[in-house]
Amino acid sequence: MTEAIQKTVQPIGVATAALETKRLSAWFGDLHVVKDISLTVEKNDVFSLIGPSGCGKSTFIRCLNRLHEETDGARVRGEVLIPGAGKRENIYAQGVDPVSIRRRVGMVFQKPNPFPGLSIFDNVAAGLKLAGVVRRNVLEEIVEISLVQAALWDEVKDKLKKPGTSLSGGQQQRLCIARALAVRPQVLLMDEPTSALDPISTARIEELVMKLRSDVTVLIVTHNMQQAARISNQTAFFLMGELVEVGPTKSIFTKPKDSRTEQYITGRFG
Amino acid sequence: MSNPVPAHQVLARRNLGDRIFFLALRAVSIGTIALFIGMLIFIGKLAWTSVEAQGFRFWVGDDWNPPMDIFGAAPFIVGTLASSLIAVLISAPISVGTALFLREIAPRKLANVVAFLVELLAAIPSVVYGLWGVFVLAPIMRDTIQPFLAKWLGPDTYFAAALGHGMTAVAYPFLLVADTLGLTEVTLVSLSANMMAVSQGLFDGPPLGLGLLTSGLVLSIMITPTVTALSREVLLTVPDTVREAALGLGATRWEMIKLALMKTARAGLVGSIILGLGRAIGETMAVTMVIGNRNEIPKSLFEPAQTMASVIANEYNEADGMHLSSLAFVGLSLFAVSLIINFLARTLIRYLNRGSRA
Repeated sequence: MTEAIQKTVQPIGVATAALETKRLSAWFGDLHVVKDISLTVEKNDVFSLIGPSGCGKSTFIRCLNRLHEETDGARVRGEVLIPGAGKRENIYAQGVDPVSIRRRVGMVFQKPNPFPGLSIFDNVAAGLKLAGVVRRNVLEEIVEISLVQAALWDEVKDKLKKPGTSLSGGQQQRLCIARALAVRPQVLLMDEPTSALDPISTARIEELVMKLRSDVTVLIVTHNMQQAARISNQTAFFLMGELVEVGPTKSIFTKPKDSRTEQYITGRFG
Repeated sequence: MSNPVPAHQVLARRNLGDRIFFLALRAVSIGTIALFIGMLIFIGKLAWTSVEAQGFRFWVGDDWNPPMDIFGAAPFIVGTLASSLIAVLISAPISVGTALFLREIAPRKLANVVAFLVELLAAIPSVVYGLWGVFVLAPIMRDTIQPFLAKWLGPDTYFAAALGHGMTAVAYPFLLVADTLGLTEVTLVSLSANMMAVSQGLFDGPPLGLGLLTSGLVLSIMITPTVTALSREVLLTVPDTVREAALGLGATRWEMIKLALMKTARAGLVGSIILGLGRAIGETMAVTMVIGNRNEIPKSLFEPAQTMASVIANEYNEADGMHLSSLAFVGLSLFAVSLIINFLARTLIRYLNRGSRA
């Protein structure tokens, strides 16, 4: 327990933290997959989570928008703080509606998952419509801005009425990013967003993530250590549900403090 | 120790197996088609005397009078369509609702138990449904449900008036078009009067227990397991990733159901309802037992009626000559109705699917 507290990175300035977890634990049934994680993500960070398969990194970010609890038998304990109206708010506090949290903490998934029944336009507009935006011109404006942000506008501007599933895999994933951005989340969670994509699509999405930094805080789970090194400024290394080490990406990759981190990044396991 | 068999011989042997398998499959599938065509020819031959004698009038004639050699099948066509429609209207929301409940709300263990019980309903023989309809449902219909419906939906109720006006409103544009083209003598007043007569008569008449409504109800229970099981399968094919996409965007459970499940699975849901409809159209035993078997077009849902399937079951035994041929014609028509509905369903599904095809 003290170990976990020691691993906590103290926030530099609380006011700039986009997200902070306090002793966050998660279970699937009896399986304890995320163990007492406390960490802070600063505003406009690109924060990558690395670690071998099954280390709990995906489950960890699924706790950050309260999606983990949608799985049968899943449980969460601990706090996740995000800036709310004037003060910071624990998304696991009693009476907090997970739906309202998910509008503020967006998510991009491992596999591109546009809504099959909807056009490109309607896919991007889906979250806005859920939030009650109905005026056509507002929808059109935000859809365009979001598609531009997701670097997809030029490719789809002439076929917005086509089904979202008609796009290529890489385009679908950027469509999903546009869909998540359209509702203006404070934090964007990305769960291995390029693992199902070819290298060129991957490069485009990495480029995009680096650009998004100025608008939104990004937490990205990745299997690919080069990707973490390329695009993130902070990195956390997870192992068997525990947070082993967290810090600026450069120092994690050049002079890791923990021997397990060193072993992992030099490819000795994982 | 056996000598290793040369590779090309192994391949040849496997190719022979492939060849036999292929031929067997081809024989089976051609056999199925041949059987289908053979049955069609047989029924067609049997029906031919009647087809020649009646022609198209067979489908619009509303008098079925074997002793006088007058055969009009309209009462049966109406009975089949009406009872099946009632069944689908009742069953579709219940079935899709149950499927959604099983998929989204019930804990997995409970869902499996309920799904099993629902599918068990499909295993009950239709004659047992018929018995239950006659001895349990019909008395309840007669003593409780029909008087209640007559009171609230029957003649001189707000419902009947509203329905009559509504149907007039729906039909009016068609009347205008027909009138402009000079095709009809019907005026708005007579249209309205006709629609009003239909809506006023819908829940009119003595509560007999047996009749169109009761048969529709029994049918709805019979097709519910099929439609529920199919809808559940369809909903289970919607990937979890799509559900999570909706939840991750801040959809409530109901919004997620609409956005991710129903939109994605709509074609499949319609398909499963249509399969239920198909089953209702062809169902014979239970309907014959509860529909009352009267060869007239029913004006009220309470009246006894007859379906295409039930008239064949009721009369084939003592029919000969033109009568038998006309029954075969009814069978042929039933087959045609099924085909048409299948075709319409496919068209509808293709239309609903147009958005999700890559």
